[in-house]
Amino acid sequence: MAQIFPRWTNELPLRLAVGGTVLGILVVAGIWYYFSPRFTDVGYQPVQPVAYSHKLHAGDLGINCLYCHATVDRAPVAVVPPTQVCLNCHRTVKRDSPALAVIRDSASSGQPVRWVRVHNLPGFAYFDHRPHLRAGVGCSTCHGRIDQMDVVAQAQPLSMSWCLDCHRNPDPYLRPSDEVTNMDWSPPRDQLQAAARIKKAKAIKPPVDCTGCHR
Amino acid sequence: MTLPDPLTPQPRPREHWRSLEQLAGTPEARAFQEREFPVGASELPEGIDRRSLVQLLGASLALAGLTSCRRPVENIVPYVEPPETMIPGIPKSYATTMPFGISGYGLLVESHEGRPTKIEGNELHPITAGTASAQMQAAILGLYDPDRSEHPLQRSAASDPQRKTWADFVSDWKAREAAYVASGGAGLAVLALPSASPTLFRLATALRQRFPRMLWATWEAVSEENALAGSALVAGQPLRPAYNLGAARVILSLDADLLLSESDSVAHARGFIAGRRLASEKEGMNRLWAVESAYTTTGAMADHRLALPSGRIGAFALALGQALGLPVAAGAGALPGVPPRWIAALAKDLKANAGRGLVVAGRDQPPAVHALALAINAALGNVGTTVLLREPVDVIPPSTPALRALAAAVQGGAVSTLVVLGGNPAYDAPADLKLDLKKVKNVVHLGQTVDETGAQAHWHLPEAHFLEAWGDCRSSDGTLSVVQPLIEPLFGGHSAIELVGLLASGQDRPGYDLVRETWSTLLPAGAAPAAFDDAFNRVLHDGLLAGSAVPPVAGLSGSVPAEALAQLARPAAPGVELVFRASPAVHDGRFANIGWLQELPDAVTKITWGNAALVSPNTAKRLHLENEDGVRLKVGNVTVELPVWIVPGQAEDTVVVHLGYGRRAAGRVGTGVGVDVYPLRTSAAPGFVGGAELAASGERHRIAQTQDHGSMEDPFADKSLPEKERRRPIVREATLAEWRREPHFAAEMVEIPKSGPLWQQHRYDQGPQWGMAIDLNACIGCNACVVACQSENNVPVVGHEQVRRGREMHWLRIDRYFSGPEEQPEMVFQPMPCQQCENAPCEQVCPVAATEHTEDGLNAMVYNRCIGTRYCSNNCPYKVRRFNFFNYTKDTPELVKLAANPDVTVRSRGVMEKCTYCVQRIQEARIDAKIAERPLKDGDVRTACQQTCPTQAITFGDIRDPNSQVIERKQSSRDYVLLAELGNKPRTSYLARIRNPHPELEEA
Repeated sequence: MAQIFPRWTNELPLRLAVGGTVLGILVVAGIWYYFSPRFTDVGYQPVQPVAYSHKLHAGDLGINCLYCHATVDRAPVAVVPPTQVCLNCHRTVKRDSPALAVIRDSASSGQPVRWVRVHNLPGFAYFDHRPHLRAGVGCSTCHGRIDQMDVVAQAQPLSMSWCLDCHRNPDPYLRPSDEVTNMDWSPPRDQLQAAARIKKAKAIKPPVDCTGCHR
Repeated sequence: MTLPDPLTPQPRPREHWRSLEQLAGTPEARAFQEREFPVGASELPEGIDRRSLVQLLGASLALAGLTSCRRPVENIVPYVEPPETMIPGIPKSYATTMPFGISGYGLLVESHEGRPTKIEGNELHPITAGTASAQMQAAILGLYDPDRSEHPLQRSAASDPQRKTWADFVSDWKAREAAYVASGGAGLAVLALPSASPTLFRLATALRQRFPRMLWATWEAVSEENALAGSALVAGQPLRPAYNLGAARVILSLDADLLLSESDSVAHARGFIAGRRLASEKEGMNRLWAVESAYTTTGAMADHRLALPSGRIGAFALALGQALGLPVAAGAGALPGVPPRWIAALAKDLKANAGRGLVVAGRDQPPAVHALALAINAALGNVGTTVLLREPVDVIPPSTPALRALAAAVQGGAVSTLVVLGGNPAYDAPADLKLDLKKVKNVVHLGQTVDETGAQAHWHLPEAHFLEAWGDCRSSDGTLSVVQPLIEPLFGGHSAIELVGLLASGQDRPGYDLVRETWSTLLPAGAAPAAFDDAFNRVLHDGLLAGSAVPPVAGLSGSVPAEALAQLARPAAPGVELVFRASPAVHDGRFANIGWLQELPDAVTKITWGNAALVSPNTAKRLHLENEDGVRLKVGNVTVELPVWIVPGQAEDTVVVHLGYGRRAAGRVGTGVGVDVYPLRTSAAPGFVGGAELAASGERHRIAQTQDHGSMEDPFADKSLPEKERRRPIVREATLAEWRREPHFAAEMVEIPKSGPLWQQHRYDQGPQWGMAIDLNACIGCNACVVACQSENNVPVVGHEQVRRGREMHWLRIDRYFSGPEEQPEMVFQPMPCQQCENAPCEQVCPVAATEHTEDGLNAMVYNRCIGTRYCSNNCPYKVRRFNFFNYTKDTPELVKLAANPDVTVRSRGVMEKCTYCVQRIQEARIDAKIAERPLKDGDVRTACQQTCPTQAITFGDIRDPNSQVIERKQSSRDYVLLAELGNKPRTSYLARIRNPHPELEEA
């Protein structure tokens, strides 16, 4: 009788099964990582309208985070400073620098500077800085070493699972209040005990319910 | 035809039904009981078939796939020079006042980043006391109305309207001014809305002095003219009555919808319910008697209600006066349909509570009835305690004779310039006094939109909304307050005081200066400039000038003139009586373009998006009419076609119609909605007219109404049983005596199953646990909570067709139940938000865990997880979950988006939503308390519905706090939980309704 199928088709089902499974696993793993905020968002470093360097201002000059981002402990949003705050110094310091031309234009024309937002959450997630600062979560914990960045880049994924990792286990990240803006802070040897004390003293109970962030 | 005796006792236990269709067991009504969305509700709208839809979906998937691979750039745009006191993300509240007719309502408006987003009542204001009605809540959409005019328009005979500027108008006026000054104002006329603004009063006086021959007419379609004329009949001068229902033990309403439609209804509701809080069985209760033609919320709350045509209420008042011993002649014989025992019991009740009683005539009753009511109050000693009469200080009152004079002058060609200050006479003027605007050379219309009047005006000037303009106002008790803008006029509009100021002085001055000028005389005299600023700022802060109420007149002398009494004794005209009522939603038509109000189910009829000819069941049977049949209503030689709607309990041989519909130029929402009945309304009979003709027209109409929606009846009940026996005890009520005998009657009506749930439950023993108690004895069905929730939570408006399919999106709905015989039923209201069940049926069936229980007892709805299976709403026995069948917010104009609350997600297509106990307010309060290092206390969190309710029927708080108000309510013996037999354990409970019939009229 004639052979309908060539010999190589003997191994075809096995090859398809194994190859298909391997391919499937690779696709799923690929989507799992490459479509997640850990890949898509970390390292986002857009070009800003003004070449403002946090490394210079916050790092070398040592200006406190709250000098510009003044409402972070008083309001849900930590604002980007208005033009006036820049001019507090730059009215006299480096008055005519070409790098500050956009700021000067903004002041004279009344048009605000349109910064590009780096750290963003979707519209159905509501985040409030105040309880985090009160609890002792430092700026650098979520935003990374801003004081070493010439251009701000996103250091952490800010995904829901990343938030929940801390909400379910905040102890490794809690600092005493006066260390919140300290960029150099690293957890001391007795961090877990210190954090337990902080948690007790301030009755810290991070919400893990949906309504903590979704309204 | 004999009516059931209003004294016939109700069968026990009371059975409640929602609609005549439910009683009759029609397939339509049954459909809503068996399925949340009856067959066909899930169908696609006409015009699309399945096949083309699938093709479209496929195509759009292919196209959409690759377009958005790049991350969109979002900008942060800070200020250049930030305002000193504004912190982005923290809302600020400003006090202002909503002028309405000759009343004013103090409001506190929340403002996000410089734009107003939510209206609340001002706690310090004597009328609103922190609460707000549905129309006050919806006023925010009037500010963000996308159909508001954006520029002044000048129209000449030949061309299309030209866009102009305010400066153009000013120079146009200056060019004409000299001639008018020379002639003393001959040919100049102003038609204004009634107002209680001291600044407008001052400027109008100045204007009249400048132009002595000018004609000034004040008029609006729904006004207090009859009340003022009635008091003038007795006292010799018009006096403003104000009613203190809190001080009254017995209240009689003569066709007066005190609790909803009359002005100051929020204050009346508050006072009325204060007299029947019933914290314990030992407390006493006031008694409300209502005699009315239409069924109103006041009638629903009444302990005794008599349905009588409006035209016979005068005769009723005469009979009552006689029974009370007043020197009045008897009415025209016996009153059919009114058992003498009823009037006798009423008279006995009023006499026994002399000095603590109240008789009020409705605004649509003629002045003679108001006069007689006042005389009765005076005879009973109520004047000075429950009835306070005050001189109308700073009031520019309505006057139909003045309108008549103006119409005659216009007709005679004697008016060369007519200035219309905010009214819409081309739409709502009486049919016999219509102003022929073509005979006026220069019509200047100040209005928010180019409405029916603006379309005929030569100059249309955009009017500034009260939320964006400076002004002032006196409330009904004379309390002075300032109207403070929350935002600069969005479209450069100007207010009535600015226009009158311009005419009166020739100078274009801003409203702020005009108001401050007035207040330099109103604030304590002799204040140095700095002290004036302080005093003025204090008024702006508080929202009112403390202690500025006008003292009431000491007593009332005088009696009702005999001619007035004779009018009341005249027999009524034969035929059908047509009753005109202001719509509780759109009022006289001014709110027609506000979607929230158009979609608001009417308290009594549950009709949305339109009006109907409301008739009693017997009238409908006589004419062989069913709901939605067309009828032709004829008064004189004007005929109007309307759909008919049957209202159990309405007076026989009356047709009630709501004004304010059928607008031709209201904007994209209001134009063409409903039927215009103003052509039937003449100046001789603005409240009601006898001798109307009603005939079936043979047409069918489509009415969008919600009375059978969200049925909580048992869909699996044994269908072989009669409908009555299948009903669940959803609304529970009793008389005062019954309750005192069996305090726990409500909770004992059902048996709660002993078996528990199958799995481990949450332990609610930490932190605040949220719960709510809704007092059915305090709910008057006014719908303020529905609109407040819509405003706070960005709930979309869906439109007429979707409401017909049961897809209205209101997170909180008010169910209305009748009980008793069809012709004279009683009515109860029940607000239905999500019950936040501890053992929620919805949570158990969601395949993607989009609805979960939180540690503080909320049933959380997570929009981003929801995939739209709708299994949750299927499983909800209360039918409180709302599904976004379409992307209702897709085409929202940019302007309307400003009204949205930024703290609440805006939902898209395919997502389920429901009441969240205002979780955004809970979280805001928790964070604020944490930051301030203090614990959360009772009253820190108030849900939107709770805050706005005029009667404070809704209480919300921490049920673990033994001192909280909500626990106090839940511990009442009237407390019961809805559908407890299903084992849901809802966090929301209800307090049963109690009625207080007079002992002589109660069954033995």
